[in-house]
Amino acid sequence: MTEKEQEFSPNIVGFLCNWCTYAAADLAGSTKIEISPAFSVVRVMCSSRVDHNLVLSTFFDGADGILIAGCHPGDCHYGKGNYFTRRRYAQLKKVLETLGLEPERIQLAWISAAEGNRYAEVVNSFTEKIKELGPSPINNNQRL
Amino acid sequence: MSRDSVLIIGAGLAGMKAGLLLANAGKKVYLVEKLPLIGGMAIKDEESFPNFECSTCMVAPVQQDVLQNPHIETMTLSTVETVEGSVGEFKVNIKKGARYVSMTDCIGCGMCYEPCPVSINNEWEEDLGEMKAIYVPTAGSLPNVPTIDPQHCTRLNGSDECNACAEACMFGAIKLDDKDEELVIEVGAIVIATGSSTYDVSSLETLGYGSFPGVFSPLEFERLFASNGPTEGEMTIRDTESVPSKIAIVHCVGRKEVGYCSSVCCMYSLKFAHFLKHKIPDAVVTNIHSDICVHDKTYQKFYEGINGVDTEMRFCSSMADVCVSGNGSGLKVNYPDGKGKEQAVEVDMVILAAAIVPTEGTAALAGILGIELDGFGFIRSLSENIGSIETSREGIFVAGSAEGPKDIQTSVIQAEAAAGKVMALLSAMPEPVAAESETGE
Amino acid sequence: MKAKVGVYICECGPNISERVDIEKISEELLSSGEYDDVELVVKNYGLLCSGDGKTYLEEEITSNAFTHLVIAACSPRDHNTTFINVCKKTDLNPFLYKMVNIREHCAWIIPDKDKATEKAVQYIRGGIKRVLYQSELFEKQLDITPDVLILGGGIAGMEAALALAGEERTVFLVERSSELGGVSAGLNRLLPRQGGEVNKLSSYRGEVENNEHIKLYLDSEIKSVIGFLGNYEVTIGSGDEEEGVELVVGAVIVATGFKLPEINGLPGFDFSEKDEVHSSIEIERMMATDRKLAMRNGEEPKSVALVHCGGRSERGYCSQICCSYMMKIAGYIKDQSTEIEVVEYFRDLCLPYKEDQKFYDEIAARGVEFRRFGKLEVDGASVVSTGMDGAESKQEYDMVIVAPAMLPAEGTEALAGLLEIPLHETGFFEEEHQSTNAIGTTTDGIFIIGAAQGPRGISSSMLFAQASAGRISTQLIPGQKITPEVKVSEILEAYCTGCLTCLEVCSYGAIYFDDDRAISVVNEAVCRGCGNCFGSCPSGALRTKHFTNTQLMKEVAEAVRER
Ligand SMILES: Cc1cc2nc3c(=O)[nH]c(=O)nc-3n(C[C@H](O)[C@H](O)[C@H](O)COP(=O)(O)OP(=O)(O)OC[C@H]3O[C@@H](n4cnc5c(N)ncnc54)[C@H](O)[C@@H]3O)c2cc1C
Ligand SMILES: Cc1cc2nc3c(=O)[nH]c(=O)nc-3n(C[C@H](O)[C@H](O)[C@H](O)COP(=O)(O)OP(=O)(O)OC[C@H]3O[C@@H](n4cnc5c(N)ncnc54)[C@H](O)[C@@H]3O)c2cc1C
Ligand code: SF4
Ligand code: SF4
Ligand code: FES
Repeated sequence: MTEKEQEFSPNIVGFLCNWCTYAAADLAGSTKIEISPAFSVVRVMCSSRVDHNLVLSTFFDGADGILIAGCHPGDCHYGKGNYFTRRRYAQLKKVLETLGLEPERIQLAWISAAEGNRYAEVVNSFTEKIKELGPSPINNNQRL
Repeated sequence: MSRDSVLIIGAGLAGMKAGLLLANAGKKVYLVEKLPLIGGMAIKDEESFPNFECSTCMVAPVQQDVLQNPHIETMTLSTVETVEGSVGEFKVNIKKGARYVSMTDCIGCGMCYEPCPVSINNEWEEDLGEMKAIYVPTAGSLPNVPTIDPQHCTRLNGSDECNACAEACMFGAIKLDDKDEELVIEVGAIVIATGSSTYDVSSLETLGYGSFPGVFSPLEFERLFASNGPTEGEMTIRDTESVPSKIAIVHCVGRKEVGYCSSVCCMYSLKFAHFLKHKIPDAVVTNIHSDICVHDKTYQKFYEGINGVDTEMRFCSSMADVCVSGNGSGLKVNYPDGKGKEQAVEVDMVILAAAIVPTEGTAALAGILGIELDGFGFIRSLSENIGSIETSREGIFVAGSAEGPKDIQTSVIQAEAAAGKVMALLSAMPEPVAAESETGE
Repeated sequence: MKAKVGVYICECGPNISERVDIEKISEELLSSGEYDDVELVVKNYGLLCSGDGKTYLEEEITSNAFTHLVIAACSPRDHNTTFINVCKKTDLNPFLYKMVNIREHCAWIIPDKDKATEKAVQYIRGGIKRVLYQSELFEKQLDITPDVLILGGGIAGMEAALALAGEERTVFLVERSSELGGVSAGLNRLLPRQGGEVNKLSSYRGEVENNEHIKLYLDSEIKSVIGFLGNYEVTIGSGDEEEGVELVVGAVIVATGFKLPEINGLPGFDFSEKDEVHSSIEIERMMATDRKLAMRNGEEPKSVALVHCGGRSERGYCSQICCSYMMKIAGYIKDQSTEIEVVEYFRDLCLPYKEDQKFYDEIAARGVEFRRFGKLEVDGASVVSTGMDGAESKQEYDMVIVAPAMLPAEGTEALAGLLEIPLHETGFFEEEHQSTNAIGTTTDGIFIIGAAQGPRGISSSMLFAQASAGRISTQLIPGQKITPEVKVSEILEAYCTGCLTCLEVCSYGAIYFDDDRAISVVNEAVCRGCGNCFGSCPSGALRTKHFTNTQLMKEVAEAVRER
C-alpha cells in the first residue's frame, strides 16, 4: 500500500478564471517555475462559471482533486462573480461530504495576475495534499 | 488623413484609455511612449487603492487591448521632437529610438538575457535590482520584447565585439545595427498624457534619505512590495536584507516645498501601512501625518479600515519639522505632536510619502508643443474655463497626472473627457476634399 | 460530412520544440486510432504568429478545407486574437478553432521533456475533443440611435448636453424643477481657480436653451426605461400625469446631483430657530441676492465661525469641495469688512486641487483664523471644540456657518430602482469600477456624472460630464452599428423552471423574466458571458456559449484519463 501510495500520480483539474489566475499561470510559465504535471488547466471566463455539475462530473470522470481559482474578492472582472463562487464552494464542500469524498479534494484560491509565484505554490502544495489523500474513492471504485 | 488621426503622448492609464476610446471610434491613434514598456505608473503598484485591487489585473487587459488594436500604432522608446501646423493639421516629428530587437521577430522568450555579460542597475525598479544590458524592465512587461541599453552594451558602446545575445536568439530578432528613426505623422489633435513623478526626497536632508539604508521613497516601496519586483515581494531593508519590524510612514513629504497638496499621498501612505501589516503581521506601523485628504466617496472608509487596525495614526502639528536620524542600527523619527511637544518613534524603516511633481521633460515638451505650464510646472489646463482639459493651444488637450496630481480615477476621467473633446473637434472640422479612404477596415 | 481537424503545433522557436518532442506528439495523435471518425492533419511550424506563419496558416486552412482547427502554441492571452483574425480571413468560423497552451502549461513548467511531451499530448487531445463540440457563432450587428437622454439640468447635465448635442445627435434634457442650473446656479462666486465669476455658469443656461439639438423637458421626470446600449425606450412625464412622452435613446446620463441636509438634527448640533446658525448654501444665496452678509435682525455680524465637516462622521465620507468653498465664504466676509472676526473650524484641510493651497495661504493672510478640531459641537451660536492638543474651548459667535455633508439628491433610491442600477453604500449611485470606470454603471449605456456619482465640485462635475460625452461619442457613432459580445449565455426554454435565481446573480441585469412563457430569458445584447448565472441555475437550463459543460468536460476527460 505504501509503495502504491508513493507511485500514485493524481489527476488534478484546475478551473482558472481568464482574467486573474490564468494570467498568473502565464506569468509562472514565463518565469519558468516548475509545476507538477499532475495538474491540468481548464480555462473559464470567470470562476463563477464553475457550477456543481461541472465539479461533480469532473470527480466522476476520475479527478482526484479540483482547484477552482479566480480573482481576489472585489477584483472579479465581472464585479461580484467570485462572491458567488465562494458560496458555491462552501456548498460543494458539503456535497462532497455527503458523497463520501473528502472535502479537501476541492480547493478554492484567489490568485491575481501578478502572483505567478503564488500560483505555483498553491498548485504544487495542493498536488502534494492530494497525493497524501491518495486516489479518489470514486476513481478507485471505477477502476476496480 | 490628419482629420482622422490623433497623437497621444504617454502610455500610462490616461493615454491608453484615451487611445482605446478613439481607436474604437475608428480614429487612427499614434501612441508615443518614451519607455520601452507601456502602462505608466500604475503597473509599478502591486495593488491599488481603494480596493486593494491587483494593479496588473486592472492594467494588463488595457495594455493588451492597446497592443492588439489595429487602429493604434504604439511607438515605444519614442519622443516627440517637433510640432508644426495647427489644429486639424499638426505635422509631428517623432524620434523612434532604436530598440535593437525586432518587434516583429521577437517572441519574448527571454533566452537572450542569460548570456549577456553586462549587469546594470534597473532604473525602472528604482535601482533596487539589476538587469542585463538586454532587458525587459520587469517580468510581465508589455510589449514583451526586450531592448538593449546602448550605453552599457559592450558591443554598442564599442568596447568589444560581444555578440552573445544575437547568438542566443533563435529568431534572429536582435538587430545590433538598429538605428534611431525619424518619422513624420499628421494628426488632427494631440493629447498629452505624460504623467508625473515623485518629489526627489534626497533633497530634504533632515529626512535621511540616502544617508540611511532604511529610508525609502514611495516608488521604491511599491517595488519592494511587488511580487514581480526585485525582491519578489519580500520587504527587506537594503544592505542588511533584514525584514523591518517597526516602520514609520511620513506623510506630506515635500508639500511645503512644492506648495500644494498632492491629493494621493494620504491614500497611498495608508495603502502602504496595510501592505506592511499584511506581509509582516507583527510589524508595528506608525503614520505620521497632518491633514488627511481622503476625498472620494469611498476613501474615508478605506482610511477607517486602516486607522488603528494596520497602523497607529499620529498627528504632527508641523510636517516640515519631522526629522529622521540614526539610532544605533535603527532609525528615529522626531516630530512635534498636537501640543507642539517633540515626540520620537524608533523604527527600522521609514517610508517618505513624497509629493507628486511634474515629470522630467515636461517643460521641454511644452516648449515643443507651444503650450503653457502652470506655476508648478505641470501642463496648464484652462481650468478657469472650469473643468477644462484644453491647453493654451487649440487642438491640444491634457489628461491624467500630467495636469496635476491625481488618482487613477480622475486620470481616467480626464482621458475619457479628452476623447470626447477630440471627437467633437474632429467631427466639427470640414470634410477634407477628395476623400480617398485609406482607413480600410 | 466527416470532420476534418487541422492540428498545428507551433515550435515557438526553441521554446516549444526543444522542451517537448513535437514529432512524438504527432505520432501519438495520428497513431492513437481514436480519431477514426475524423480526418486529422497534424503539422508543425516554426513560428505561427509571425507574418509568414499567419499566411501559411491561412493557406493551410483554405487548401485543406478544415472543418475545425486546433493550434497548440503559447497562451491564448498572447495570440488568440491573432489566430481568430486568421480564421476570419478564411471560411472557417473562428468559434470552430481552439487554442491550446503547450508553452506556459507544458514546455516552460515541466523540466522533464518526456513528461512535458505527455502533458502536451493530453492538452492537445482535449483541444481536439473540445473543438469537435464547439458550435459556429456569428457576430451580430445592432442598429443604434445616437440620441441621448440626460436626467438633471444642473451644471453636470448641461455640460454633457452641450458636449453631445449636434447635427446628428439630439439630446433630451429632463429637469425635475422648473429651472435649469441646479445648486451651482445659486452661488455667489466661484473659486479663484475657477475664475471667480459665476456669469460663465449663467451663460450656460442660455446656450442650452438656445441649442436646437437639445430638447428640454422642465418639471419632468423619467417614468420608465427599458432596453440596452444603443436602444433604450424611455417615458418621461411630469407629476402624476398618465400620458408621458416616449423617446428612444442610445444612452442615459444620470446627473441628478445632490442635496444638503438640515443642519439642525445633525449629531453635535443643538440650536433653535432663532440662533444665528446657517447652512453654507443659505449664505451663498444671501450673498448672491442681497450682496451683504447680515443676521436676521439685518445687522452685520462681528464674529463668524465657519464650521467644516457637518455630519461627516456619520455619513462616512468627505464631501471633497467644502474646505475650498468655505475659504471662499471666508473671503466674502473679509471682502465685506476686514473688521469681522472669522474663524474656520476644520478637521482636516482637504485641498486636492493643486491651486487651492495658494488660496488657503491668501485667506489665512487676510486674517482668517484656521482652528483644527478633533471634536466639535455647536450649541446655540457657540462652538465647543477640542483641538489636537486635547484642550477644549468654547467660544460664542454672532453667526455660525456650517458646511454640511453633501447627500444624494431626493429620489435617488427610486431612480436607481427604475434604472436598475445599484447604489453605493453612501447612497450615491455606484460606478462599475472605482478607478477605471467611474462614470459607467453595471448597465452598459447608463452613465452617472456630477454630484450624483459622489460629492464633488463644479470642475470635477463638468469633467465627469465631458467624460460621459467621450464615452458616448466614441461608442454610439451616428450611422454606425455596434457589435455585442457573442460568447454569451442562453436559457433553454424546456428546462427553465422560472425560479428567478439567475436574475438575482447577474451583475448586469442581462436576464429578464418573460411573463408569457414563464421563463427567464437572456438579453444577448447585455450579457457579458461571465457564466455566473450558469453556476447558479438549479435546473440546468443555462448554457454558456463557447464554454458549455460538454465542451469543458471534453478537456476534463483528457486531463483525468488513465495514463
Ligand atoms: C507611490 C504611488 C502610489 C500610487 N498608488 C495609487 C493607487 O493605489 N490608486 C490610485 O488610484 N492612484 C495611485 N497613484 C496615482 C496614480 O499612479 C496616477 O494617478 C496614475 O498613474 C496617473 O496616470 P497617467 O496615465 O496620468 O500617468 P503615468 O501613469 O505616469 O503615465 C505616463 C506615461 O507617459 C510616459 N511619458 C512621460 N513623459 C513622456 C514623454 N515626454 N514622451 C513620451 N512618453 C512620456 C511615461 O513613461 C508613462 O508611461 C499612486 C501614485 C504614486 C506616486
Ligand atoms: C454652499 C456651496 C458652495 C459651493 N461652491 C462651489 C464652488 O465655489 N466651486 C465649485 O466647484 N463647487 C461649489 N459647490 C459644489 C457645487 O454646487 C456642485 O459641485 C454642483 O452643483 C454639482 O452639479 P450637479 O449638476 O452634479 O448637481 P446639481 O447642481 O445638484 O444639479 C442637479 C440637477 O438635477 C435635478 N434633478 C434631481 N433629481 C432629478 C430627477 N430625478 N429627474 C430630473 N432632474 C433631477 C435637480 O433639480 C438639479 O437641477 C458648492 C456647493 C455648496 C453647497
Ligand atoms: S453570463 Fe453573466 S452577464 Fe451573462 S446573463 Fe449570465 S450572469 Fe449575466
Ligand atoms: S436559474 Fe435556471 S431555472 Fe431559474 S429562472 Fe434562471 S434559467 Fe430558469
Ligand atoms: S473574472 Fe476572475 S473570478 Fe470572476
